[in-house]
Amino acid sequence: MTDPIRDEWYPVALVSQLPQGDRDTLLLGEPIRVTLQDGQPMVTASGRVLRSQARYGHVWTSLGSPTRPLFDIPEADQPGRRLVDVGLVRVKCSPLRAVENFLDIAHFPFVHTDILGAEPHTEVGRYDVAIRDEVDEVWATKVQFYQPQAAKSAAGGITTEYMYRVPAPTVSVLYKTCPPRPGEWDVITLFVQPLTETLCEVWPWMALFDDTTPLTDLIHFQQTIFLQDRSILENQQPSLLPLDPGLEIPTRADLTSVAYRRWLKRRGYTYGAQLVAA
Amino acid sequence: MTDAWTPVALARDLPRLGVVPLCVDGIDIALWRSASGRVAAWADRCPHRGMRLSHGFVRGEALSCIYHGWSYGSEGQCLRIPAHPDLTPPEAIRVPVFQAIESGGVVWVAPKTTDAMPPAVGGTALRSLTVDAVVDWAASGFTLSSAVARGELSGVAMTILVQPLPNGRFALHALADSAAPAALIEASRGLEALRRQAEVALA
Repeated sequence: MTDPIRDEWYPVALVSQLPQGDRDTLLLGEPIRVTLQDGQPMVTASGRVLRSQARYGHVWTSLGSPTRPLFDIPEADQPGRRLVDVGLVRVKCSPLRAVENFLDIAHFPFVHTDILGAEPHTEVGRYDVAIRDEVDEVWATKVQFYQPQAAKSAAGGITTEYMYRVPAPTVSVLYKTCPPRPGEWDVITLFVQPLTETLCEVWPWMALFDDTTPLTDLIHFQQTIFLQDRSILENQQPSLLPLDPGLEIPTRADLTSVAYRRWLKRRGYTYGAQLVAA
Repeated sequence: MTDAWTPVALARDLPRLGVVPLCVDGIDIALWRSASGRVAAWADRCPHRGMRLSHGFVRGEALSCIYHGWSYGSEGQCLRIPAHPDLTPPEAIRVPVFQAIESGGVVWVAPKTTDAMPPAVGGTALRSLTVDAVVDWAASGFTLSSAVARGELSGVAMTILVQPLPNGRFALHALADSAAPAALIEASRGLEALRRQAEVALA
């Protein structure tokens, strides 16, 4: 019997931080411990050893029996990329709200003012959204937005092109035009660890073409962005993500969010979600 | 019934372009004042994504949500969706609006529609403070009628408006029948003593 929630892979720690000590944390409300065993990450829940693996800088685990492998990010193995562990931001919100916010560009001018967006450049043009059945992922492509400072490496305002991908219910991968390397995409991910239905830890991770910006600056840039997002995420009502229409009003700019909610419902992924009838 | 109205702030503490969160009768409210000085009390939730409007910003006569900048006019109707600047927002997108009025130097809110007016009060706006206990008005020589307590503090005649807050707390909005600075300082100390008494009695 498969369980669409417990059988998922979840990020629970940074591999690079494990030598500093065990990490006691929560996954889907259950206490777990992440530790090093003979140099390899090990995750236990009440003494039971869980399936785990180290990938994309993080330890991934599952409380159940995953029916599919961890999603692939081919760019992670591409030579020349700099892999950046950003750390974690704890947010008092549904893990699904955190992912949905990451998929949203219309908030840039108001929440990330003068960094990822600025008035009067508020318009969100048409973009393409699809649930790709062959991989069972949500994809948004041809997303364009004017940004005053798109990345730490950007000198001035540019129109940035984005692609968004949701390969797992609590993961989003963002592909973004890479100013120093035209033709390539910078990869910025959001790995979300659901502690409970209304509390999560957000682990951003990056695979960039940027050999010059100091690590501290890269991390500070991402932390600034996520702390701005947190002030939104902790003040949405209801805190659970509504999967059925009615409680909230989407527009054309929200098509990625609409597809994400539909995809979650189809997969039966309801942890951190609410159905209107409930 | 004047009970329909809850005193929520001294009028001078809500500046133009200001917006603050409130909870009245269990309803979350965004209280704000427009550039022209109009006071409004709305449901504290943007219908787009459920963000609290009390985190928003006021421009002119409209309140905007801080999340995506959707702005709403005086009747709560959506005026503008910045992601789609050429779109006229559908009528159906609106924020529930409650009655709010400024009277006697106090802002009053009525979550349920009423034809009544708030009680007539007046005086010099002294200050608002919160109390983590129920004040025994009679023991302090005050008479309490619905939300209005009248009595004396340090020899100054006072009108104190009582606003119930969540979790058994109260906000007191104090008006003094004097404008003399020395008298107001004494009355302010008297108000703090009243609070201390109430909270110590509870402990």
